[in-house]
Amino acid sequence: MIEPTVTLTHLHRADGSATYTHNGYSIIGAVNGPIEVQRRDELPEEAAIEVNVRPSIGVGSPRERHQETLLHNTLRSIILTRTLPRALIQITLQVRTLPLEDGTTGVNSSLTLLPHLLHTALLALLSASIPMRTTLTAVLIAQPSSPAKNIVPSLLSPSAHDLVRSKPVRAVHVFAFAGDGRMLLNESDGRFSFEEWNEACRMAEVVCCGEEEEEEEEEEEKDGGGVELEAEGEAMDVDAQAQKESLDLWLRSVVRRKVEGEQRWRRAT
Amino acid sequence: MPREAEISLNEREFIKQALQEQIRLDRRAFDAFRPLELTFGDEYGVADVQLGKTRVIARISVDVTTPLPERKFDGIFQILTEFSPMASPAFEIGRPTDAEVILSRILEKAIRRSNALDTESLCIIAGLKCFALRADVHIIDHDGGLIDASCIAVMAALQHFRRPDVLVEGEKATILSVREREPIPLSILHQPLCVTFSYFEGEIFLVDANLAEEQVRQGEVILTMNKHGEVCQIAKYGGATINPLALLNCTNVALQKVKEMSTFIQKRLEEDAKQRDAGGLMAELSAENAR
Repeated sequence: MIEPTVTLTHLHRADGSATYTHNGYSIIGAVNGPIEVQRRDELPEEAAIEVNVRPSIGVGSPRERHQETLLHNTLRSIILTRTLPRALIQITLQVRTLPLEDGTTGVNSSLTLLPHLLHTALLALLSASIPMRTTLTAVLIAQPSSPAKNIVPSLLSPSAHDLVRSKPVRAVHVFAFAGDGRMLLNESDGRFSFEEWNEACRMAEVVCCGEEEEEEEEEEEKDGGGVELEAEGEAMDVDAQAQKESLDLWLRSVVRRKVEGEQRWRRAT
Repeated sequence: MPREAEISLNEREFIKQALQEQIRLDRRAFDAFRPLELTFGDEYGVADVQLGKTRVIARISVDVTTPLPERKFDGIFQILTEFSPMASPAFEIGRPTDAEVILSRILEKAIRRSNALDTESLCIIAGLKCFALRADVHIIDHDGGLIDASCIAVMAALQHFRRPDVLVEGEKATILSVREREPIPLSILHQPLCVTFSYFEGEIFLVDANLAEEQVRQGEVILTMNKHGEVCQIAKYGGATINPLALLNCTNVALQKVKEMSTFIQKRLEEDAKQRDAGGLMAELSAENAR
């Protein structure tokens, strides 16, 4: 899997910003917060979150509103909104480029974009130093339909080009996992059995959170039971035990690079 | 939405007094632009302009529709500017601020109504099919000079854009994809560019004011010109009265700036074309007719 490239905190006006590029998708994210909230959106005990997704061409449509809702619900579960009552956290995601084949993949394009939007939002939130319970990683899994008895392996984080080549795609899944391995979001589209979904879920978990031998059985049961949001997550473990290449490690390396850059003055003196 | 943070009284006085002493806070000359940076995306028709800390991305896209019934021989060209909270939390989606209205109005006047783009060349079959071109202007970072930066971005993107070729046989038109035939550039008649002058007390005109200077200024004059010295539009906002002779002087300054910017855009376009023309095949592939 090719790792996404990220530039953090490159905008001057926004409190936090990130540009994320992966598989031909490029998204600019900006976070302002905590800022003053409008009277009608104000929540007395927690921070309001506003997500704006802006397409590269044209103005927002119901598709973007749907993505905004998904992002809003997912991010609300990891941002410590209770620590910032009566404030607003404003997240703007501007899609800059889409891959050329995006319109012709034959799968729901709002799902293929979703993991990238989630990553951009998270990185922008990290850049803005918004208090968060845990981190988040997301991945897209596509299951191409097998013509005969032979089973085609599922595609892990496929690019638009891969999707076009393996047409027709039977089902696509988007999974998002928190830093402690809990599932935060699952969106699936197409025809699939529960076994297939389970397999996709396990595959996504390995990619997102790295290998975890003992807990695997336990995790699976939890995931089957649905989304668990309210549990308190542990603080981020800086010494990652997972050795395998995973999105979690990638996220850590991005943040580490950023922190190292910012702490340069300390080591220089 | 929170309002834009107003500049403090002390800062305001400081900037004003410095200007009276012929000093700008960033040590620029009164008629100097901030460093301009222009990059093009991998695909055709995306221009990313950075003017100091201001950053604007323009993106051109094309579609096929039926032309307007009263303009059967013309294609459709639209410029869309919508501010997002990315540039400043004071910008709200769906509720345009004054700056947004002014920006879209000026771009409309400067580019669309000055006939920078030959819309007749976008017509495929008169009255039935035409290309609808749209330019989306995304404001990514806001530090003043939005009008100048947006105008540069849109003009550069238009010159960079290539539309797909069409094959017309009687009433039937076929759009040829990029793989079938090399897309062709738009026919651009001239290149209008905007220069904004900020007016301060004592006949001081600043070129390319940043956000702090914009908040202090008493008036602004937006001049649009092409490199041949033809004035496309003049707009003046703000209450201060301006001497007509000073305005004439502004046009001279604007002409010089527009010439510089045009050559800069041209240079960048040529660099980009050279990069794309890796095997030297562009000349053979081109389906463009000589004008």
